[in-house]
Amino acid sequence: MLSTFLSHQRKSFWRSRNKGGSIATQIVMGFFILYFVAIALIVGFGMPYLLPKVFKGQDPLKMFDGIILYYFAFDFLLRLQLQELPTLSIIPYLHLKIPKQKIISFINVKALFSAFNLLPLFIFLPFCIIRIAEAYGVFAMLMYIISILSIMVFNNYTVLYIKRKSITNILYTVIGLAVIAGFAALEYYKVISIMTGSHFVFSAVAAHPYYGLFFTLVAGLMFWINSEYLRKNLYVEELSTKQEKKASTDYAFLNQFGRVGELAALELKLILRHKRSRYSITMSFFFLIYGLIFYKEKIIAADEFGKMMFAAIFMTGISIIMYGQFMFAWQSAHFDGLLSNKINFKDFIKAKFLLFTIAATIITLLASFYGFLSPKLLLLHLAAYLYNIGFGTVTVLYLATMNYKRLDMTKSASFNFQGTGATQWLLMLPYVLVPFLVYLPFGMLDKPYLGLVVLSAFGMIMLLMRGFWVDFITKKFEQQRYKIAEGFRE
Amino acid sequence: MILEIKNLKKVYGDKTVVNIEYLQIAEGETVGLVGNNGAGKTTFFRMLLDLIRPSEGSVLSKGENVMQTDAWKDYTASFLDEGFLIDYLTPEEYFIFIGSLHNLSQADVSAYLSRYTEFFNGEIINSGKYIRDFSKGNQNKVGIAAALMQNPEFLVLDEPFANLDPTTQIRLKTILRSLKSERRLTTFISSHDLNHVTDVCDRIILLEKGLVIKDFMKDENSLKELEEYFSE
Repeated sequence: MLSTFLSHQRKSFWRSRNKGGSIATQIVMGFFILYFVAIALIVGFGMPYLLPKVFKGQDPLKMFDGIILYYFAFDFLLRLQLQELPTLSIIPYLHLKIPKQKIISFINVKALFSAFNLLPLFIFLPFCIIRIAEAYGVFAMLMYIISILSIMVFNNYTVLYIKRKSITNILYTVIGLAVIAGFAALEYYKVISIMTGSHFVFSAVAAHPYYGLFFTLVAGLMFWINSEYLRKNLYVEELSTKQEKKASTDYAFLNQFGRVGELAALELKLILRHKRSRYSITMSFFFLIYGLIFYKEKIIAADEFGKMMFAAIFMTGISIIMYGQFMFAWQSAHFDGLLSNKINFKDFIKAKFLLFTIAATIITLLASFYGFLSPKLLLLHLAAYLYNIGFGTVTVLYLATMNYKRLDMTKSASFNFQGTGATQWLLMLPYVLVPFLVYLPFGMLDKPYLGLVVLSAFGMIMLLMRGFWVDFITKKFEQQRYKIAEGFRE
Repeated sequence: MILEIKNLKKVYGDKTVVNIEYLQIAEGETVGLVGNNGAGKTTFFRMLLDLIRPSEGSVLSKGENVMQTDAWKDYTASFLDEGFLIDYLTPEEYFIFIGSLHNLSQADVSAYLSRYTEFFNGEIINSGKYIRDFSKGNQNKVGIAAALMQNPEFLVLDEPFANLDPTTQIRLKTILRSLKSERRLTTFISSHDLNHVTDVCDRIILLEKGLVIKDFMKDENSLKELEEYFSE
């Protein structure tokens, strides 16, 4: 039976309507996974050498114990965001003569096919085999491996259970991250140490290998709880996310913009009420850490803004890029309705500009905490911000008029490349290159601040020309509307 | 004359989906469009509403080409399919949004909605659901009610009776009839259900493979005539 299910799954993939898209997605996913596996392998086999380097003067075995719980805490949060529930595909089987237990085992088995259940193997197993066996003996090594696998299985099913009960929320993840960061800080200042705790747990396993079975027991328990829950709730209605009461909302703030504000409010609801768009927005916040990678002390001191331009443009304009790359397609499900209703196309385009401007302003304000690194960065951000709202918005919206790919908003968000076409990837090039090219000559002439002024001026001028650009894009939109609508109907 | 079709053609590849030489609809008429699947009804409606670019010819609404102006949107309301609904809104939000496009205040909208409590059968308003979570029939109701709310002079509905329960079908017919006598509303509807069409319409257009095969005023023999045609 299980193999029949799997063969149906395979068919559903190969025969799916947008096969091309999903294959491309799978290939990209495959590369992502390979990439992570490669990193995991390097980390795994490098661990015996890396640990002494990172934690100087400490016992690597102890440190290895220490990081295991950290890893799984982080793994748990990542899963909470990214792991998918394998449920919907079972609907056609529920009314057939198939024992519930079979369906449940299928769901459970399928849930194990996740990259999250692959990485720990590569990260932890090499060290176990190379060092633990040597230090504590083969039996202890086996129990180490069993413990680690058990924690992995525990995480896997706990996350699924939480997701099934739909008590998950992006806020929890953020809080969870904060808690982990808090512990890391406490660790750093030697107040409390999870690493010691983790070590304490695993040294117990090393000393009394049988203790490792405790993890297996807990994992088994979680597996059982999960299966029981499924058994009791194997109804389509209850398997999909729970319905809470939906309320009508009104964004008073946008009302002052009249008709344009109404359209912007409409789109704001679109963003907030769909997983996929919410995900895009959440990712924008995560990209705020880009600066930490690119803003190096030396570069800041040398005023080399060119090297930081990419990060600045990206951070302050991320919401424009992330949301804009699928522009108009977000509304593909009701595009006909928008066209046939009494909506002025100019207002429609203006609403997009308004939304972009608000989003970019918020994210730029958030990014201004980099001012603590150096106030110069604020100037850089200002220039990047002006460029983004002045010219970036125009680029994105112009390209949007050439995007005919329907976007299915009901599909999940993470690693979903449906609706992604060549345009989306090409978009990044001019978007990032233009400000760089504007700045480059001044950077080369060693006039970095003048470069920023010129870039800001460029953004300002474009901003002042917004009326013109609105007309320009509206015109283009009017020409393209049949083509867009046709593409979105597919 | 509210609608005039001149030499309207839509060609996909080498297949002509719609090919209407001339057609006009006068004010106050209730016109039914019948035809089998693939007859080109929806494509025709989409061209009426400027959602598809015709390969040839033009659609004139009150003498103006719908492709060139937006004026027709002031007095034309339509509901073809769920693609017209903004499905992530609650029904109330959707009605308020549509109302605002026609300068109706929130109070106007609720006053209007209160007249339709019977039509909604207590399932739409204050249901605490987004439109996407409704059944197809109820989504249909939302779409039709939103179209009627716009106080149109010209109403275009594609398969309005499909997915509706019998009570609502009857109520919808009553509403359409009364609007016609009250406001001289012009209605253009398509349907697969010959009973409904002959019941509510006073003129029937039969489309087959994009061509107008028949175009006649309804009389007591119409239903029989149509049934004979389709059983051949």
